[in-house]
Amino acid sequence: MAGNFWQSSHHQQWILDKQDLIRDRQHDLNILTEEEYQKIFNFFASIIQILGEQLKLRQQVIATATVYFKRFYARNSLKCIDPLLLAPTCVFLASKVEEFGVISNSRLITTCQTVIKNKFSYAYGQQEFPYRTNHILECEFYLLENLDCCLIVYQPYRPLLLFVQDIGQDEQLLTYAWRIVNDSLRTDVSLLYPPYQIAIGALHIACVMLGKENLKPWFAELNVDMDKIQEIVRSIINLYEMWKSYDEKKEIQVLLGKMPKPKPAPQR
Amino acid sequence: MGDNFQNNKTMASVMMDYDFKVKTQNERSKVEDLFDFEGCKVGRGTYGHVYKARRKDGSDTKDYALKQIEGTGLSMSACREIALLRELKHPNVINLIRVFLSHTDRKVWLLFDYAEHDLWHIIKFHRAAKANKKSVMVPKGMVKSLLYQILDGIHYLHSNWVLHRDLKPANILVMGEGPERGRVKIADMGFARLFNAPLKPLADLDPVVVTFWYRAPELLLGARHYTKAIDIWAIGCIFAELLTSEPIFHCRQEDIKTSNPYHHDQLDRIFNVMGFPLEKDWEDIRKMPEHATLVKDFKRSNYQNCSLSKYMDRHKIKPDSKAFSLLQRLLLMDPNRRITSEQAMQDPYFTEDPLPTQDVFAGCPIPYPKREFLTDDDQEDKSDSKARQNQQQQQPNTQQNQVQANSHDHGANNAKRMRMPGPNQGNNTSGGGQQEFHQQQQMMFGGQQQGGNSQQQGNFQQRF
Ligand SMILES: Nc1ncnc2c1ncn2[C@@H]1O[C@H](COP(=O)(O)OP(=O)(O)O)[C@@H](O)[C@H]1O
Ligand SMILES: [Mg+2]
Repeated sequence: MAGNFWQSSHHQQWILDKQDLIRDRQHDLNILTEEEYQKIFNFFASIIQILGEQLKLRQQVIATATVYFKRFYARNSLKCIDPLLLAPTCVFLASKVEEFGVISNSRLITTCQTVIKNKFSYAYGQQEFPYRTNHILECEFYLLENLDCCLIVYQPYRPLLLFVQDIGQDEQLLTYAWRIVNDSLRTDVSLLYPPYQIAIGALHIACVMLGKENLKPWFAELNVDMDKIQEIVRSIINLYEMWKSYDEKKEIQVLLGKMPKPKPAPQR
Repeated sequence: MGDNFQNNKTMASVMMDYDFKVKTQNERSKVEDLFDFEGCKVGRGTYGHVYKARRKDGSDTKDYALKQIEGTGLSMSACREIALLRELKHPNVINLIRVFLSHTDRKVWLLFDYAEHDLWHIIKFHRAAKANKKSVMVPKGMVKSLLYQILDGIHYLHSNWVLHRDLKPANILVMGEGPERGRVKIADMGFARLFNAPLKPLADLDPVVVTFWYRAPELLLGARHYTKAIDIWAIGCIFAELLTSEPIFHCRQEDIKTSNPYHHDQLDRIFNVMGFPLEKDWEDIRKMPEHATLVKDFKRSNYQNCSLSKYMDRHKIKPDSKAFSLLQRLLLMDPNRRITSEQAMQDPYFTEDPLPTQDVFAGCPIPYPKREFLTDDDQEDKSDSKARQNQQQQQPNTQQNQVQANSHDHGANNAKRMRMPGPNQGNNTSGGGQQEFHQQQQMMFGGQQQGGNSQQQGNFQQRF
């Protein structure tokens, strides 16, 4: 549905208002600071990314899974569903929608187990990945409901390619901007702005990093709301600032401990 | 499904919050609470069972179609159908109103507008009439209107980077009496896919699907990618079938499960109608994966006297008619030369009298019977299902007579219909409206009829 972002459910239902987003997060933000909340999402975005890579999924699919994850928690507290379960569920659903051929249930679970054990032991220690196929399948129904069946997600990658083409193929610029788009998945921008604006924001940062003064006129000629682009740039730069003074390996266990968790049925 | 999974070395993980679970359970409406449809099965395809349904709360008395996806959980084809239909909005593409997920039995239900007719039943009705030397009164321009709307819908899909991939008469619905009377609705997006970013050669994903009659020659020769041209070929086949009431590339199919796309008998049938393609008419045929097999298995000289014009002429479609010339452009063997949906819609056929109408029945009485309710052991079915298909082909006459009988059987039909409970006023729960997708849309398309009904009242023709 490449030509049709403006009529899409993404545009009509899933470009959220910043104030609404903050309000819907109040429950979690009574327990976590905004920065802690972001660090937790950063962590689960890494889980989704590495799971996707291990399953040999394309970046587009991984990005879609990450957006599903963010959309779910935009409307729900972290305590509603354990994010360690929701993360692989998002990967599973995105891979079906993006037509990669269904990942077999057993392969998904095995991959979760090895990824958690080998790559995230700094967070989970000796604990094993606790979920099985039936949990993922049950969770998938809840996910689909909470997404209101909106499964097609537009990503900034395609507009980015088109912009770089327009600028005149510049491999280095594309590589930088592409990575910045990947990083932007760890911020809220995919919930707040249309993908083409995120692409422009990423290009903007890439130009600054590479000292490409000569592209100023190109940006000036774009018919976009520059305030929005600045907001996007700020969100991503804030992420980079946060990364500078943050050692996930040291802090994540404490953060996961503090994270609101699902409560079981009351004991009778 | 235990949600309090406890592992020994545990993260003491509770997967889902109890309050959250209870709250969503209470908010979720169940399909069987909102709709009556028991005993009202009207369709059975490879991927689902379709029921005719009414709202229980009586907030409207419209008919709906409820499709229960075969199997449990979210299959890939269910995912595709939901993902795409959630985004698509066009008067000639079936409108997905809502999705129900039944957590207890893990069934997925899709709610659609109800379409009383489809081209499979319509064509079958005409074949039966023909066999019995009876005539069917339909407006002169009906086939043209049908084709135009199919093209319009496909053009919309194609311009949104969606390929249908399973076009055939059973998947082309036509609305019955009501605000959208006589409007084509393209349905069954289970195989449809986005093609803007082919991730893998499409042919790798699901081996070989669906009936071969509507399959383009390049697919039969092992083409690795689906294209718009493949949908166009299928539309050409449907057009020919509408003109003649016979599947143009009819072919016996026993070994349909094969994962090999190459299908000797189907190719033979195509060449028997079209003639064997000349090198100059399809230059890239030599690049097809199965070209060597083709050369080995077929002799051009066996098809010396075959051509589309002769075939259509035998079916009383004149080679100098506009219909024939458009058909020929849709059924070009070389996919690169086959016209696009847009070009097809510009064809002179559509500007020649009678003009296409929005109501394909052009205001005339609809001669076709309403859908019958199927019982579970009913064998009457679409060509989706292989076993049944063979059976159908072996005994065409009995089948046709049956239809003929059915169509005179309105009383019985209505009697069955009565089984559907009437509107149940008092019980007006809120569940209904809120979660439905694209609601306004229907109002929009409901009223606007451009130049439709007025023409051709009484301008009948016997054949389509
Ligand atoms: N909206 C509808 N209204 C009425 N009948 C329908 C509708 N959708 C499908 N059907 C009937 O059910 C059959 C199967 O539906 P379809 O969507 O094609 O499923 P499948 O993927 O199983 O082929 C159709 O051929 C048609 O006869
Ligand atoms: Mg079908």
